[in-house]
Amino acid sequence: MEPLIKVMDMCKIYNPGENEVRALDHINLEIFQGEFVAIIGQSGSGKSTFMNMLGCLDVPTSGKYFLNGTDVSTMEDNELSAIRNKEIGFIFQGFNLIANLTAVENVELPLIYRGVDRKTRHKLAVESLEMVGLGKRMGHKPNEMSGGQQQRVAIARAIAAKPPVILADEPTGNLDSASSREILAILKRMHREGRTVILITHDDGIARQARRVVRVMDGKIESDDLNSHFEQGQEEEA
Amino acid sequence: MSAWVEYVKMAIQNILANKGRSLLTMLGIIIGIASVIAIMSIGEGVKNQMNSEVDDMGGMGQIYVYCSVEAQQEEQWITKADFEAIRELDLVEGIQINDSWTGETVTGKGDFNLNVVGDTQDVQAMSKLLMKYGSFFTEADVAEGRNVCILSDADAKRLFGTDDVVGMSLDLTCYGITKSFQILGVTTQKENGTFVSYTYEGMPVELTVPYTSMTDFVGDYDTYYNLWVHGKKGVDSKLVADEVIHLLDNRHQSAGEDYYQIQSFQDELKTLNDMLSIVTTFISFVAGISLLVGGIGVMNIMLVSVTERTREIGIRKSLGAKTSSIMLQFLAESAILTGLGGIMGILLGVFGAFGLCNLISSSGMNVAPGIRVDTVLLATAFSCAVGVFFGLYPARKAAKLSPIDALRRN
Repeated sequence: MEPLIKVMDMCKIYNPGENEVRALDHINLEIFQGEFVAIIGQSGSGKSTFMNMLGCLDVPTSGKYFLNGTDVSTMEDNELSAIRNKEIGFIFQGFNLIANLTAVENVELPLIYRGVDRKTRHKLAVESLEMVGLGKRMGHKPNEMSGGQQQRVAIARAIAAKPPVILADEPTGNLDSASSREILAILKRMHREGRTVILITHDDGIARQARRVVRVMDGKIESDDLNSHFEQGQEEEA
Repeated sequence: MSAWVEYVKMAIQNILANKGRSLLTMLGIIIGIASVIAIMSIGEGVKNQMNSEVDDMGGMGQIYVYCSVEAQQEEQWITKADFEAIRELDLVEGIQINDSWTGETVTGKGDFNLNVVGDTQDVQAMSKLLMKYGSFFTEADVAEGRNVCILSDADAKRLFGTDDVVGMSLDLTCYGITKSFQILGVTTQKENGTFVSYTYEGMPVELTVPYTSMTDFVGDYDTYYNLWVHGKKGVDSKLVADEVIHLLDNRHQSAGEDYYQIQSFQDELKTLNDMLSIVTTFISFVAGISLLVGGIGVMNIMLVSVTERTREIGIRKSLGAKTSSIMLQFLAESAILTGLGGIMGILLGVFGAFGLCNLISSSGMNVAPGIRVDTVLLATAFSCAVGVFFGLYPARKAAKLSPIDALRRN
């Protein structure tokens, strides 16, 4: 089977020349459809840069990146936008909702950029919000919701367009422990429902929730292990 | 296509989310458009009023004939016989001589300076005089040089305290000679008259008399410098002028000497209108600069908005917005802002034009604003163009942001 994500010899070098910074140093990684991977690393390890690459927010200095069979490592801005829209659902640490839009409008955004018509869009957005348990909060604006609820809106937004990859960057970083558990439970459910979830974190405790843990240090992959603690059913308590 | 609707919707959402700021942003455009519209409308109104008044005076078909310096040196003045000959021409409706003298009279109301105008019976028709009482003098009055006169109701009131003075007489003193003139008729001003016929206190009283009656004071005077010729309706004033000049040249045997010169009122009016247009255009241009400044204001606010919304732009880009989507969203925003400002400006400009015209009218002149559709359309188009033009730079700036940089910034 072809991997969903295939990173080959990826380098990202900032300030090329004497003071160059090798944020990513010859990284190779394959992630298959349906995996739940945590990418863990301390700040400065290069994990954020790696997440930008995986999320098609940036292109590598060298190396290849095949996403869903397409080489995206040499694409231009507009092509990357289209790929992000189609292939990736982002969940950010800071939620990144648009403040003057309601929950349902926020969830509709990626669908607007995909060109989905108004009715279908609304239907999909409502479904996604119901999936994260926010069916009753659709008309609320971000500042009328708690952090946990905002992050659930962000998850709904990430899954609304049904992208193959869900990329969560420190999704619980701004949340209290109860909300964090909720969010992780939802991510696990997404995984169980067959989605590919990539979780980026610095927290071992969070990383331990994933099926596979990739440890990044100094721009290199230090370890890549299957998580022995991972159990399919364990999130049900949440 | 439907994407367009979405970007416009996003733009409107944003404008509504910042109502106060949006209004302030539009203010420059509103004032710019309003002043252009108001100035153009008032200018147009003044022009219309001038044209209609000149037209009322019979101005449009009128030509002015006068003796050149050479004719004066050769003493080839226009004579009474010339007048009669010109009046007989096929294309000529009538002539006006406007032979003006000064005199005095004493009435129960005091001493008055007079402006005595010797003229033909054609004046009434040519100047479209309205008779309030009595009638104008006739061909016979002119032919026999009878001592009769016409005056305006305002002047009659000044002289006698009433304007119902037909049949009364007044003693006209001119060059030391005093003659009694019988009042045949009283004219009245047409309503809305202003630019041309306006009576001030202290202006000499104007009497119109048969030009032939002036011989009583100044002897057998037969050297006239000029006259006005009124062509028959629908006849090109150029043809009338040619006929008149031809006749005068024949009678004075002066073909090719250019003794008699022509000025058509139509040309004069055109010059006047052109001048007014230049002034209006110039002032509009100055007002247009405020529109430019307004546009720069919009650009400024949009730039601030782009900076403030960097994160939003990053979010949108991460969700799949293309450069063009962001660009269109911001362009739509500035275009809607200026377009809306333009509409408000038009309303304000129209109201302003009416208000200012009322103000002008209350001081005696009568001007109705001439609001032209093309002016309004031009102003709207221009304000939208300003919005797009000045929105371009901020929109490009927004669209070019890299999503990572935009997301990282707070």
